[in-house]
Amino acid sequence: MRAYIIRRLIYAAIIAWGVVTATFILLQLSPNSPADRYLASMSARGSDPAQVIAAIESRYGVNRPILVQYGEYMTNLVRGDWGWSLSTSMPVMELIKKHWIYSFQLILLSSIFAAILGIAIGVYSAIRQYSKIDYIATFFSFIGVSLPNFWLGIMLILVFSVQLGWFKTYYDTSLPIFSLANLKALVLPVITLGTGMMAGYTRYVRSSVLDNLRKDFVRTARAKGLPERRVIGKHVLRNAMLPIFTILMFDLGSIVFGGAYLTEVIFGIPGLGRISFNAVFANDYPVVITITLIGALVVLITNLVTDIAYTWLDPRVRYE
Amino acid sequence: MKRLEKTAHRVGGLRNLAFFTTLAVLGVLGLLDLYVVDSLIPPSSYVYIFLIATGICYGVYPLWSARRLTTYYWRRTSKHRLALAGLVFIGLLVLIAIIGPFFTQDPTRVDFKEKNLPPVGFTVQQSIFDMSTGKFTTREIPGTLSHPLGTDDKGRDMLAMLVSGARVSLQVGFLATLVAVLIGAVLGVSSAYAGGWIDNVLMRFTDIMMTFPFFLLLVFIVFLFGPSLSFIILAIGLTGWTGVARLVRSEALSLRTRDFIVAAKGLGASSTRIIFRHLIPNVMSPIIVIATLSIPGVILAEAALSFIGLGDPSSTSWGIILNAGQSSLDTAWWIAVEPGVILFLTVLAFNFLGDGLRDAFDPRSQL
Amino acid sequence: MEPSPATVILRVRDLRTRFYTPAGVVKAVDGISFELRRGECLCLVGESGCGKTAASLSILRLIDSPPGRIVGGEVIFQGEDLLKLAPEKLREVRGNRIAIVFQDPQVSLNPVLTVGDQITEAIRFHSNISGKAAREKAIALMKRLGIPSAETRFNDYPHQFSGGMQQRVTIAMALSCDPEVLIADEPTTAVDVTIKAQILDIFKELKETRRMSLIFITHDLGIVAEIADRVLVMYGGRVAESGTVLDIFDSPGHPYTIGLLNCLPDLAGARDRLASIPGTIPDLIDSPESCIFQPRCSKAMPVCKVQPVPAAEVSAGHTVFCHLYGGDGPLRIPENYGLASHQRLWHNN
Repeated sequence: MRAYIIRRLIYAAIIAWGVVTATFILLQLSPNSPADRYLASMSARGSDPAQVIAAIESRYGVNRPILVQYGEYMTNLVRGDWGWSLSTSMPVMELIKKHWIYSFQLILLSSIFAAILGIAIGVYSAIRQYSKIDYIATFFSFIGVSLPNFWLGIMLILVFSVQLGWFKTYYDTSLPIFSLANLKALVLPVITLGTGMMAGYTRYVRSSVLDNLRKDFVRTARAKGLPERRVIGKHVLRNAMLPIFTILMFDLGSIVFGGAYLTEVIFGIPGLGRISFNAVFANDYPVVITITLIGALVVLITNLVTDIAYTWLDPRVRYE
Repeated sequence: MKRLEKTAHRVGGLRNLAFFTTLAVLGVLGLLDLYVVDSLIPPSSYVYIFLIATGICYGVYPLWSARRLTTYYWRRTSKHRLALAGLVFIGLLVLIAIIGPFFTQDPTRVDFKEKNLPPVGFTVQQSIFDMSTGKFTTREIPGTLSHPLGTDDKGRDMLAMLVSGARVSLQVGFLATLVAVLIGAVLGVSSAYAGGWIDNVLMRFTDIMMTFPFFLLLVFIVFLFGPSLSFIILAIGLTGWTGVARLVRSEALSLRTRDFIVAAKGLGASSTRIIFRHLIPNVMSPIIVIATLSIPGVILAEAALSFIGLGDPSSTSWGIILNAGQSSLDTAWWIAVEPGVILFLTVLAFNFLGDGLRDAFDPRSQL
Repeated sequence: MEPSPATVILRVRDLRTRFYTPAGVVKAVDGISFELRRGECLCLVGESGCGKTAASLSILRLIDSPPGRIVGGEVIFQGEDLLKLAPEKLREVRGNRIAIVFQDPQVSLNPVLTVGDQITEAIRFHSNISGKAAREKAIALMKRLGIPSAETRFNDYPHQFSGGMQQRVTIAMALSCDPEVLIADEPTTAVDVTIKAQILDIFKELKETRRMSLIFITHDLGIVAEIADRVLVMYGGRVAESGTVLDIFDSPGHPYTIGLLNCLPDLAGARDRLASIPGTIPDLIDSPESCIFQPRCSKAMPVCKVQPVPAAEVSAGHTVFCHLYGGDGPLRIPENYGLASHQRLWHNN
């Protein structure tokens, strides 16, 4: 198994290199060179064009050969120098440090919400297959997957903030993170982001549990006289959860980040998505690049950790 | 004549020959356009013609020539009532999108006198500053039939905007999916067929692209290259092909070792012929399923882009309307509700249809 | 090898189990009756699909209830009808007083739980002994069944064992609570040929030393010859013939039984074509009220197509369900059945 871990790490390193390089290539292909963009945003702030051009050239070396630029790009990344954000006048790294926690709490709470409800409904649906609850749950999961999550957010605001006044319409950033008020402010965003996730989870859990209910070892467990609660809870679930776990983690990248981005924009939560949004309209491209890269790297690390965790969790793999 | 037949045989049939000829003609025209004559055909039309050609050659024509098979699958699909409902809805929407704009008002006509009118059957309170008394009075404004779904904050007719938005969404949905499926299918099949290091490299490339969160990458590309509609279609297609590639590759892999492929090889068929004549037709059914199931994601992606302001400003996408609606939630709630409802129903319809198709194509499920 | 005059601990009467499928109602078990005495081994013999597994699962009500349902009969165990028992009381019987060993250990063991956990699970649930005591009991059981290095292997997972060892684990699981009745559903079928004999020896030893009452399901007549005290020959969900193992091998009555015995290749005698019973297994959906073997029977008479078969007791404890024996007269074994091959097999044991 150790050999597998090492191979997997090397593979992750290759993919990381590929991600960073692909970003660089995209940058180079873009019709608006960074210099032009900077020029545009700097001029808007009334700076002297000549000085700006000189600064850009010295920092970004846009007139130097591509390979040199690439080298500089890579070394900057590795050294932790991820650029300077013009729109907020601070190093990008610092900007990230200030705001990542908001994204993190949103995604974490939504995942927990979605996982708990999704697993509960999925398991219940599976063991009571074809019952009314099963049909309702399946129908709702269809709806949940199809509901545009940004619209759901707006609708929730319409009903609960505007009409009923239970929640504020905009996220209050002055609230301390670990406070009940903060939790309350996060209710609508978590529901927004979590509903789509939960719909997907319910379907996966249901199908995985159904698959395992048909297996012979379930019959063996019943033949031992174990109560149904233990048959499901211990025998079925431990087998069903293994593939669920991997699917959940892999979904994180493709679906969750997009949803979180939109949720942050709608509710005004100052997480990385919102920062990227601001940066896009301020033409602050180091921020946009960095956040895209961070997204990819988080996905990469999550996948790596999930893969390795799986080899430990599944006894069939752990003991080859 | 003989030479025509021989070439046709090499690429796997007359149909393929017709397709590649169209490509060649487009290519020539494009080169002419760039270097010799000026703009015979607008650039976005190239993309459209290409995609339509693909749709006909590889979508409509095979279905037509294999009528019995098509009817078989049609019958299986129609056993799914929800899938049928979805199909009906989509059909209606397509119809509305095509002929609707001829019957509705101009969606871009701004009329501040008629702003913030509610839909028919609703009334809304508006406070009007009465010049004569110098005070604000509230007046009840009812919805009128001239604007059955109301107007937005600039007086534009909601119904017209929604119909126009349907056009945008459906265009994006079908075309971007086509791009994604094309890239994914070709990559997947080639990768599976070539095997060896080519397969490895292509799959690593797919893995790299898959590592980028879809929406973040989309935002990044549109940020870099600009938000025009045709480009957005291309961008969505260029970021969303990874799932298709994976799936097609695994299907093609399982086919590769099957006897009929080995037989074709033994009979001396060239690789191109095998890929186009044997492999691709057989991975068609999972491709159709995943294409249908990808359309909702594509439509949502475009709506999301428009919503955050990265859409094509000259198009009236549902997402743009939704964006405007968010700021008017207290005064004109329908601006936010209506586009969302229609977006939701469209996505739902495609999901139902895709699910039904998937069950219909799965040989193991009994219907 | 005669039926011991011991007490009857399990009595099955007219058991009926059906499966409701889209294609129709399958009468998998259609009126089976038998008795099991203490310390005796009863073999249920028959082709695949004859209902032997369904019958054994029905005893403990382990039939999957959406498609299947036990629709009639009684299963009397120590004075109580298991089919009518409340679920909590049934769970006390399962694994504890009646245990079952399944056919394929690869799929009947849970792959993500340790072997030790699975063996001690039933003990820990059915009795109050401590975890440590349960573990010791399990290890002792594993040793007795011939699993080497039992202490360390206690914490291993099923996939780390070979097929034969896995089957021993399932047997240990079944024996963990010292049940009175052990049902073994073709325990040697999914195992390598070389291991088959070892597993069979385990069962033989269980019967002889532990005086365990055994219901052994198999389609292999050789195994029947080795281990059975009494035999129940099943066909099409019904009983064709029941009797002691001597009765069945020496003086079989039902044409199906005779056909089965004739199918055994004669290794010593003349090299002829392998005999087989013509036709295919019966359709259990539209099964007739009359004899279900009739379409394949070489001795079929007109009455076989019409009347339900009588139970003819041709000698003490030997019943044949066939029109050939009427329902009233004494045994009349028709001549020229060619019993030599199986008789040789029998006497060689």
